[in-house]
Amino acid sequence: MSCAGFDSATHPLLERVEVLRNERVAQGVGLLVLRSPRIAAGVEPGQFVHLRVATGADFLLRRPFSVHRVAGDAIEILYQVLGRGTRELSLRNPAEVMDAIGPLGNGWRVPAGAAHALLVAGGLGAAPLGMLAEQLAQRGVAVSVAQGAPSAERLVARDLFESVARRVEVATDDGSAGERGFVTVVSERLIEHDRPDVVYVCGPEVMARAVAEQAARASVSCQVSLERLMACGVGACLSCVVTTSTGRKRACVDGPVFNAEEVCWDGSEVPPRH
Amino acid sequence: MDQKSRPATSVSREHAGVDLSVEIAGLRLRNPVMAASGTFASGREFADFVDLSRLGAIITKGVSLQPWEGNESPRIAETASGMLNSIGLQNPGVGLFSERDLGWLASQDVPVIVNVVGHSVDEYVSVVERLEAEPAVAAYELNISCPNVDAGGMAFGTACAPAAEVTRSVRAVTKRPLIVKLSPNVTDISEIARAVESAGADAVSLINTLLGMAIDVRTRRPKLARVVGGLSGPAIKPVALRMVWQVASAVSVPVIGCGGIMTGEDAVEFLLAGASAVQVGTANFVDPTATMHVLDGIAEYCSASGVRAVRDLTGALGT
Repeated sequence: MSCAGFDSATHPLLERVEVLRNERVAQGVGLLVLRSPRIAAGVEPGQFVHLRVATGADFLLRRPFSVHRVAGDAIEILYQVLGRGTRELSLRNPAEVMDAIGPLGNGWRVPAGAAHALLVAGGLGAAPLGMLAEQLAQRGVAVSVAQGAPSAERLVARDLFESVARRVEVATDDGSAGERGFVTVVSERLIEHDRPDVVYVCGPEVMARAVAEQAARASVSCQVSLERLMACGVGACLSCVVTTSTGRKRACVDGPVFNAEEVCWDGSEVPPRH
Repeated sequence: MDQKSRPATSVSREHAGVDLSVEIAGLRLRNPVMAASGTFASGREFADFVDLSRLGAIITKGVSLQPWEGNESPRIAETASGMLNSIGLQNPGVGLFSERDLGWLASQDVPVIVNVVGHSVDEYVSVVERLEAEPAVAAYELNISCPNVDAGGMAFGTACAPAAEVTRSVRAVTKRPLIVKLSPNVTDISEIARAVESAGADAVSLINTLLGMAIDVRTRRPKLARVVGGLSGPAIKPVALRMVWQVASAVSVPVIGCGGIMTGEDAVEFLLAGASAVQVGTANFVDPTATMHVLDGIAEYCSASGVRAVRDLTGALGT
């Protein structure tokens, strides 16, 4: 596949970043806005930052977060409060200074000649797809979005997707927004009827795998962003490996975006908890 | 490397007046701060953050004869003031390592110590034999202390006879400095240290990780796929320091201290306890510039307390 990234690769750097906003935007979901001129200037869609949620030895390891979008010299991060690290992150106040490494990871790739892209987001899987949707639309690529969540209260990034996509279809487990059911029903329909040139997926691994299989059946190229527990974020510790057809690769530098056909879906990965 | 990608965030102060150089097993190092095996890859991953030529040495990720796949995921868990890992020595094998990493390292103006692992004595020997032809290698560190593999690793490091056997066998095929990295998961680490010293080790490094475990009570499953793993980070520093102190008084070869070092003061504690040099490990995951901060901290300590040569700190513990 002939592919192009969005920009030339930027070297990661350590940056002291300032919290501009940290607020609840959906049930259990926070939006953190960080003034980070150097990372904001270099980050590409699908890349992530590695954040220290607090100082001191109690939260020893950094946590990786996808950059949802860039606004001027700030980056936006969507996070779900799932564990002690994200609970700590939710306590950060405006004007506090944090320590970030970024931009990290490989980001999404755009196949040459792609005119129509389908973005499939499950829950917080919408996070790394926001900036992608914006930049695809700017390039004149037609964007469709299939988005799923447990309920209407837990849908995120609705305004962003509505503003740049020509079509957004939603599914919720309880039917409180869009149709009742899994997003995979929506993605299957859109892949078959719309025949996109490329499918971008992020969400729970069981969902990402199902979408990847739908794309493969329709012979549509598909990229998935995968999440793993991570220590260093720069390729040294080998904590975040993904099993692929060519061996174990590092989600932090060889990913987080992988071509779906290279991923070995062994189902052994438990959802990471931050 | 182009100008733009030079480490912008690394600390680059001169340490005027303080002699930071140390000599370990015949190796003259510009300072006592090494990057610990398994936490620094082969250095390339840190070149955006650290001027590698400012390091005392880089100790590479463990290298085996054949490629090793490592363990299933999850491979890490954060714990109080530390972390567990069960990576399982995933590495591409000595062939690809030499081709891909050693050539690059040779151009970095930093001593390269290759950490060697094996399932058997023969495999340790074969890896070293393969590396003897590589001019970029300054020394070897035998890893007889990794708790995360079923065969080899720690099995060699928890009893005197196998520890001595692997050391003696590798000693027979190289004249390069030979460091043996010791496991803390033993009753008496001093007797293992004496055994490898007698078998020809030029130095010992300690400690590797402490065997530990963590459980997710919600799922009632272990947090690591392999159930148990190695504990590292600030949590283990007091244990590491005690063992360095014990070993330093038990052997006459140099001791390289390791275990939870996050700051220059942490490193000075190890030097006072008897270490001649230190390794910075888990701290690299938290802060990729950690080695530089430790180095600057040691130098500042020396300046502030009138220490003219860092080697004067070794074993200078007042009791």
